[in-house]
Amino acid sequence: MKRLLLNTEFKNLLREKVAVIIAAFSILLAGLAFLNGHFFSQSQSEVVEAAWTSQQHNITEAATQLPLRLSTTEPVKWWQDRYDLRAQAFYVMVNYATKPPLPASPIAIGQADVLPYYFRMLVQEKQQVVQQYDYVHPLNLLLGQFDLSFVLIYLLPLLIIGICFNALSNEQHSGQLRLLLLQGGSAGQLLTIQILLRGAIVLLPFLVISNLFFMLFREQIELQTLTNFTLITLLYGGFWLALCAWVNSRGKGAATNAAILVTCWLSFVVVLPALINTFITHADPTPSRIQYIDSLRASTDEAKKAAEKTLAQFFQDHPELASSSASGSDFATKKIATINAVEQAMQAFDEQYQQIQQAQLGKAMWLKYLSVATLTHSILVELSGNGLVRHNAFMAQVQRHHQALQSFFATGIVEANQKGDFSPCKGCNARPTITDLSTLPQFDKDFPTPNVNLAPMLWLIVLSLLLIHRTSRNVGVLAAPQTSKVVV
Amino acid sequence: MFRQTLTKEWLDAKRQGQLWWLCLIASLLLLLACTTGWQNYQSYQSDAYDVAQQEQTRWLNQGEKGPHSAAHYGIYVIKPATPLVALDDGLQAYQGNVVRLEAHTRNDGMFRTVQDNLPMARFGSLTPAFVLQVLLPLLILLIGYPMFASEREQGTLKQLLASGVEPLQLFAAKCCVLFAIAATLLLPVIVYLLFIQFEQNESAKLAYRSAGFFVVYISYVALWSIITIAISCLLKSSRRSLIVLLTIWALSTLLIPKLAMNYSTGVYPLDSNQAFQNRLKREVYTDHREMAFERFEQSLLQKYAVSSTSELPFDFAGARLQFGEQYADAIFDRLFGERLEQLQSQTDSYFLASLLSPMIAVQSLSMAFSASDFHHHQHFLARAELHRRMMQRVLNHNQRDHAHKSEGQYVANLSLWQQIPKFEYHPPAFTDLTHHYRVNWFSLVLWLTASLLLGTFAVRKLTKEPLR
Repeated sequence: MKRLLLNTEFKNLLREKVAVIIAAFSILLAGLAFLNGHFFSQSQSEVVEAAWTSQQHNITEAATQLPLRLSTTEPVKWWQDRYDLRAQAFYVMVNYATKPPLPASPIAIGQADVLPYYFRMLVQEKQQVVQQYDYVHPLNLLLGQFDLSFVLIYLLPLLIIGICFNALSNEQHSGQLRLLLLQGGSAGQLLTIQILLRGAIVLLPFLVISNLFFMLFREQIELQTLTNFTLITLLYGGFWLALCAWVNSRGKGAATNAAILVTCWLSFVVVLPALINTFITHADPTPSRIQYIDSLRASTDEAKKAAEKTLAQFFQDHPELASSSASGSDFATKKIATINAVEQAMQAFDEQYQQIQQAQLGKAMWLKYLSVATLTHSILVELSGNGLVRHNAFMAQVQRHHQALQSFFATGIVEANQKGDFSPCKGCNARPTITDLSTLPQFDKDFPTPNVNLAPMLWLIVLSLLLIHRTSRNVGVLAAPQTSKVVV
Repeated sequence: MFRQTLTKEWLDAKRQGQLWWLCLIASLLLLLACTTGWQNYQSYQSDAYDVAQQEQTRWLNQGEKGPHSAAHYGIYVIKPATPLVALDDGLQAYQGNVVRLEAHTRNDGMFRTVQDNLPMARFGSLTPAFVLQVLLPLLILLIGYPMFASEREQGTLKQLLASGVEPLQLFAAKCCVLFAIAATLLLPVIVYLLFIQFEQNESAKLAYRSAGFFVVYISYVALWSIITIAISCLLKSSRRSLIVLLTIWALSTLLIPKLAMNYSTGVYPLDSNQAFQNRLKREVYTDHREMAFERFEQSLLQKYAVSSTSELPFDFAGARLQFGEQYADAIFDRLFGERLEQLQSQTDSYFLASLLSPMIAVQSLSMAFSASDFHHHQHFLARAELHRRMMQRVLNHNQRDHAHKSEGQYVANLSLWQQIPKFEYHPPAFTDLTHHYRVNWFSLVLWLTASLLLGTFAVRKLTKEPLR
């Protein structure tokens, strides 16, 4: 009987043009979304690659041109001299901190188009460093990227609803259900076969195309990532199929089913996420960046006004430099001391942002369970490496690198100053104080990224099981009067 | 007769159980969105005003220093928002609204709010614009899809038409009822638009913007009402009419805008910031620049018939600084101009997609009237850049004219800082930027015309209904 039902349903679907259209749509959307995400990630990879190439090129070029610099008798402006530690520190250093996109990046662009993924490092206040960003059209940010997560979260449920909203109700209202029951079939069997087959028409093309494209275009992708992606897709799709089955099992007309399902989609995918987001941002509002700039400005002024005091404080914090420094109060050391003072003054404000973000994340962690869309999105974004977990790990690494550079230059400049390298004689050029640029601290790209936690997806399984349970009860009730009527 | 038909349609609509729930939910969402929008606007304006004042005080109290040190000290300027931003904050969060004005450098806006948001924020926030552009059409179609189709299914449509009701009147009555219900939901917006007229100083400009804003949304409501009723009339069953309307909605609000913008950025790509900054440095700090400086010096020596810059009747360093600024400005104009051209092409290409989706037309015009769109932001950046150049000119000229008279290092004081007026930015009159939005206006009118044609077609079909 099951095979007969399966065959009949399959033939019916083939006869209906809608099934073919929906399968074609699923293929088209998966292909388009993958390619869009892929090209986006590729463009970021190219920028990261270009940054590293220019860094390496700069090191090589400096090594090649060193003899020329050593032999020159022409006046050299120290702030343009790549062999001068001060120029390297504040003006000419080519040193990048980068976050290359992961092979899984096309799954969900997430915040990758908004958050900075590379920084040109100089010795300056970290507040000046971290505000760099890639200029993209703001409309593009407002509308977001057309990626696999968008198709999966927004569009696939609509396709599922479009193909499943009249399952069972057609048979019920045309009287075919009675015939089926008389022949020994069950409404539950029919509904299961209809929903699974229709779900497969939507989900399978999407999964086949996206996995195939991943293997073709993103060769380094791990099997584990693809398995996780497939699992998440199936669970999310499974929830919508279970919802369709439950709505259909209530025995209402097709139009009513469609209206209910669309309302559910609207609530889960559009309204609830917007409400959750609004709630989070109002419960823990992010401090104003305008006020932050004001504080930064005030702290910088304060540090500059008290330059000598700032310097004294700097040497107090770094006694290893003070003890060997005979005339430490040169321009560069003062500048580093001022930078230090500004960073210290701003630390409280920066921590405030981190605390607020943590508070928002804490709320988001629980509230995301209210909507299957937010739950799935949060996991997909982390799986693709474009979420906050990896970004925060990157920023922590940037911070370490920033401190390493500051410490490197602070020490080098004080020592060079002590040796009189910056002014060996009146009117002559400063001595080269850094001849091998490869000795500069390099950014370590292998920053630790925590594994993606798939446990929240259990909630989807629970919801789907509940819906299936309710469906089986409804189908039992639905089938009973049909049978008795016929028997009578 | 029309009044009777209207009353009948109104009673029919009232009997729909879902109508009241949908309207209640939509009204609550809109009220919530308006309240949060107003709060955000107030807090932004208050911050912008306070910090701008602080910045001006800081500039005036920077003490005695060389004019060029003051030029490097610079000033931060903040883009103010119009009260309409409470209804549509458009791109406010996606572009830096603070710009640092300093010597030698043309900066982009700093600190985009969106960078501080969680990834979840990409689902969108509950703003009035979101409710009006995305949810309101959905509400209209959920209320309107069975208006003709279910009457046809129940067989009452034929009876109605057979009783002598004019098809056009029936169609118009249904449209009017649906339009009236949807337009009622605009009430909080209308109240807010009226409220801000009494609150603000520049009421004439604002009145014009508010009127435009209202016209755009009322047209949008009318457009969706006519399309919904026409589709409901044209299709045989309410099931089909719901599916078709939902497809149109999903395409026009979800799919086409995203695809159109992604396509535009793909066709008109931008350089990365790294490449752009490298290019700026490469093109500004060149040997050609050194030669230009050399030529400038020679021309001055020749003009004043002296052999050394120290013999010039002014401070050469000040003149050289101003020359350097003008030299760099020409390159900034070219490179930033090229980038702006690409951005402009992206915008135009996106606007063109409003021919495929009325939501793009409405969204673009709504942001434009709220002064929170791309063009208004560019206008602000251009004004900020003009201010920066004026600052540099005043400071450099001061050094040029006075530094040579001073013994030792020349320092300027409050009197010079006061010569630089406070940066006061007011969004332009909408008419000044109208040319950017021609496509959107055209599309909106085209969509309205198309919906009326569809309506006419539906009425014709309705005329033949008793024969079917």
